[in-house]
Amino acid sequence: MIALRNLHKTFKTKKSEVKAVSGVDFTAADGQITGLLGPNGAGKTTTLRMLYTLMQPDVGQVLVDGVDVSADPEAARRALGVLPDARGVYKRLTARENIAYFGTLHGLDKATIQARTERLVQALNMQDFIDRRTEGFSQGQRTKTAIARALVHDPRNVVLDEPTNGLDVMTTRGLREFLRQLRGEGRCVVFSSHIMQEVAALCDRIVIIAKGTVVAAGTADELRAHYGEDNLEDAFVKAIGSEEGLLA
Amino acid sequence: MNSLKTLWTVMRKELKDLFRDRRTVFLSLALGPILLPLLLVGVFTLTENRIRDLSEKPLDLPVIGKDNAPNLIAWLEGQNVTIKDPPKDLAAAIADQKEDVILRIGDDYAEKWRKSEPAPVEVISDSTRQNAEVPVKRVQALLKAYSGQVGALRLLARGVSPSAAAPLQVAETDMASEEAKRGRLVGVLLPYLLILSAFMGGAYLIMDATAGERERQSMEPLLATPAARGAIVSGKVAAACAVALLSLAFTLLMFKATAVISPTVGRQMSVSFATIAMLLLILMPMVFIGTTLLTYLSATAKSMKEAQSHMSYLMLLPMLPSIILMVNPVKTQLWQFAVPFLAQNQLILKVVRGEAVVPMQWATYLGASFSLAAIMWFLAVRRYRGEQLAISG
Repeated sequence: MIALRNLHKTFKTKKSEVKAVSGVDFTAADGQITGLLGPNGAGKTTTLRMLYTLMQPDVGQVLVDGVDVSADPEAARRALGVLPDARGVYKRLTARENIAYFGTLHGLDKATIQARTERLVQALNMQDFIDRRTEGFSQGQRTKTAIARALVHDPRNVVLDEPTNGLDVMTTRGLREFLRQLRGEGRCVVFSSHIMQEVAALCDRIVIIAKGTVVAAGTADELRAHYGEDNLEDAFVKAIGSEEGLLA
Repeated sequence: MNSLKTLWTVMRKELKDLFRDRRTVFLSLALGPILLPLLLVGVFTLTENRIRDLSEKPLDLPVIGKDNAPNLIAWLEGQNVTIKDPPKDLAAAIADQKEDVILRIGDDYAEKWRKSEPAPVEVISDSTRQNAEVPVKRVQALLKAYSGQVGALRLLARGVSPSAAAPLQVAETDMASEEAKRGRLVGVLLPYLLILSAFMGGAYLIMDATAGERERQSMEPLLATPAARGAIVSGKVAAACAVALLSLAFTLLMFKATAVISPTVGRQMSVSFATIAMLLLILMPMVFIGTTLLTYLSATAKSMKEAQSHMSYLMLLPMLPSIILMVNPVKTQLWQFAVPFLAQNQLILKVVRGEAVVPMQWATYLGASFSLAAIMWFLAVRRYRGEQLAISG
């Protein structure tokens, strides 16, 4: 389970201050897929970076399985599987070696890494390229490798920053199936997206973020009811107060 | 997971990554060891040949007013000197380096000679031209010898012993050891080359593993693992140091090989295995200092290109002591062994000259340089803890 409590983050540039996140607050339950929906630049990535301990919030608290991540970031990283916005893989290593490197950094032994890799290869359909060097991989192959490497330590909580970015339809469908499978295993899945249809199709709960704060949260039905719209897209436009970022 | 295991994991991964890139491996491991000894052999052979040529070949000497002193001219011709006609424009001939040295015999030479007064001759040259040094010295020595001979004859003719005109008999004893004499040429070139390859030997790997990894967007996922950041940096530093040390060891072994094969290098420096071991010990802290410094600098660079821009001035650092010592030679003192670059310079010279390095100097050097490396390492680790490092875009 992941809980974010009143997160604030401001970046200082030479001339001005940019309030990237100001008051994000939501809870993602186990066995559910929670979608962060928001236009580009709404603060989704910054929120997630604070969640997976790469940034310190100025104000607020992040709890992963009930543990404050700023008190014990190492435990939080162990409990989290993270696909960041940056998903570079080592191009002179094979996909398998990329996954094994992260497994070793998580402190897993060889046999465990081997077994987990096999499972992820099956689940993500990576048989064709698992033993190839990642140089020249397609976007989809790279993303799959990055996801497998993020999940090799079998985390209870999975955080993915725009996982379907740049993927074709078939790969996206496969990935959705994989996320449902993770939910079925009782994991807490959080992913961000700026694509309405995707969030609608996949999420048990939707958290809409705009201009650094949570403007609405709930199931798709609750959001439609709350804004009095039959169409989720219209509800979304009402929630963020503009039409920006919808066309992607 | 404990930090040592992380360090080992990261180091192994970086080395595996590097060794799969054949061209880079060749450039960082093989090129230095091949090029440096070749460079030295070339330079030594050139200098030895030039000195031999200049001191043994007949000396071409343009003389102005050679008719004024036929005896002197005849004597010079007997001393392996070819007398030439002088150029029209003296200053231009010297400036254009057409002539290294010109001799002018004064018009009143014959008259003064007859009166037994000092007869005027003038040696014209440009003292800043290095290649004129040997011919000028030859001409001066010849004139001095001629002057001495004739002077002695004149004294004899007047019934005076020539030794009365030589109250002092000055003898020179050169205390420089044979090794030191041989090492004189090596003194300028070798320390710079060795310090530079130690200082920059791990540069490619560490910049690639820090700024490059950030540019390729794999730094963020790496830092999101529970592995301690200090251990991750240390693993990268360790991999770069291993490559640099390996390259240095190859280079030194190649020196050994060239010294065996080529007599010119063998004459210039002593390359025993003990020397090689000592040079490695001297250069090891330099490897750590250079690698950690580059880690620190690359950790703030957003791209490989930005990181590489630091190289241009870093390359000059190892040259500083050589330049300062050239204009302001100082005696060896203990404090010098605590100053980076200067210390390595002095120690390498000592070792190549075959001088003993006393334990106090070793202690000062190793203490100071490893402390500096530790400080640089600490700073690099602190940079890695910064929030900005993880973010690629």
